[in-house]
Amino acid sequence: MSGDHDHDHDHHHHLRESESYYAARTKALESLFREKGLIGTDTVDRVINFFEHEMGPFNGAKVVAKAWTDPAFKARLLADANMAIAELGMRDGIEGENLKVVENKPGTHNVVCCTLCSCWPWPLLGLPPYWFKDPVFRARIVREPRGVLSDFGVTLPEDHKIEIWDSSAQVRYFVIPERPAGTEGWSEEKLAALVSTEAMQGLGLATA
Amino acid sequence: MKVQHFLGGIENLGPVDVEKRVFVEPWEAQLFAVHTTMMGTGIWAWPDLRVLAESMNPLDYFKYRYYIKWLGGMSKFLISRNYISEKELDTKTSYYLENPDAPQPDTGNGDITDRVIEYFYTGANPYRDVAVNPIFKVGDTVRVKDMPPAVHTRLPGYLRNKIGIVETVYKGAYLYADNVPTDGICTPQPVYLVKFKTRDIWEDIPDKGDVLYNDCFEVYLEAI
Repeated sequence: MSGDHDHDHDHHHHLRESESYYAARTKALESLFREKGLIGTDTVDRVINFFEHEMGPFNGAKVVAKAWTDPAFKARLLADANMAIAELGMRDGIEGENLKVVENKPGTHNVVCCTLCSCWPWPLLGLPPYWFKDPVFRARIVREPRGVLSDFGVTLPEDHKIEIWDSSAQVRYFVIPERPAGTEGWSEEKLAALVSTEAMQGLGLATA
Repeated sequence: MKVQHFLGGIENLGPVDVEKRVFVEPWEAQLFAVHTTMMGTGIWAWPDLRVLAESMNPLDYFKYRYYIKWLGGMSKFLISRNYISEKELDTKTSYYLENPDAPQPDTGNGDITDRVIEYFYTGANPYRDVAVNPIFKVGDTVRVKDMPPAVHTRLPGYLRNKIGIVETVYKGAYLYADNVPTDGICTPQPVYLVKFKTRDIWEDIPDKGDVLYNDCFEVYLEAI
């Protein structure tokens, strides 16, 4: 094998690992789908728009705000989340046909993960952010949850127990964070703005 | 065995990448939309993607960003099932590498878009309303079996041989997949929410009273 060949190989390899290569290859895939009638010319834009405006963490935040202000709703949500979100006019769907809501309370903190892949409650949170899909997060969260929480800037009181939910079958889990002190009388809209995606999987806290 | 089946509990990996965005490059959103089109039109389903991710070199699995792995898996699948040829994909890729701003073909199937959007709401519920007779009941102590290695599994490796308590017996039956080889979850069966003490999983961690819940397909459990 000549030195030139090695050089060519490295060069080729390098090209195939560049963002411009990935972008071109993705564009090529969509273009072939268009030519073969496997996709519409507006499908990609509609899908991206759907997850920006229809199915995203704003849904979950609305559910949390309602649960914080309406104890009867919260009880129904904990008992049957799919029925309860329908009351708010929300549709469930893909990756959320079987939702389960758990609640953070003084002394008990819930965290959600998927060590095998990236199971996530799409109807309530849209698509999973990078951290959730990071193999390092998935490896560490089950054995050293406090260390991982500290990577997220979260420190729990010493006496808090952690309940870890590793999704692997049909159920997609969702966390109601603790309502921050000093928010009495706030509107649901104002409360919803306090709730981050991370807080709704237990990797953040809601703060006012 | 596959490292991808045994991620939970690996030590010494360093900090988590706390990247809160879903897509970090515009092509990732485009690729994701093509993937959902494949899902919504029945070209493939999650288990197909999982099988490809789990058959990767484990070091590459850690090395490459999430959607880079998807790009490789989707391309491989589409070529192997003759939806596209490797040659036409390579040719088009080179064309867009040299002409990044060149427009895409202005053809397509306009009916597909609504189908894909509606699919996001109808989903693909794994629930199967078949008569089942669950072996275990709430409160039973169960051991997770050490299942033989499989192409695809939904059993987190770190739970093998561990003992837990049945917290919930889900109603009815669930089917994980019937289109890829698995370790016994290609037939509808009961699923149980099982509660473990994390100290029973890893005896060397500090005792903080933490617990871990996992949904286990019946075939993965045995009575003790």
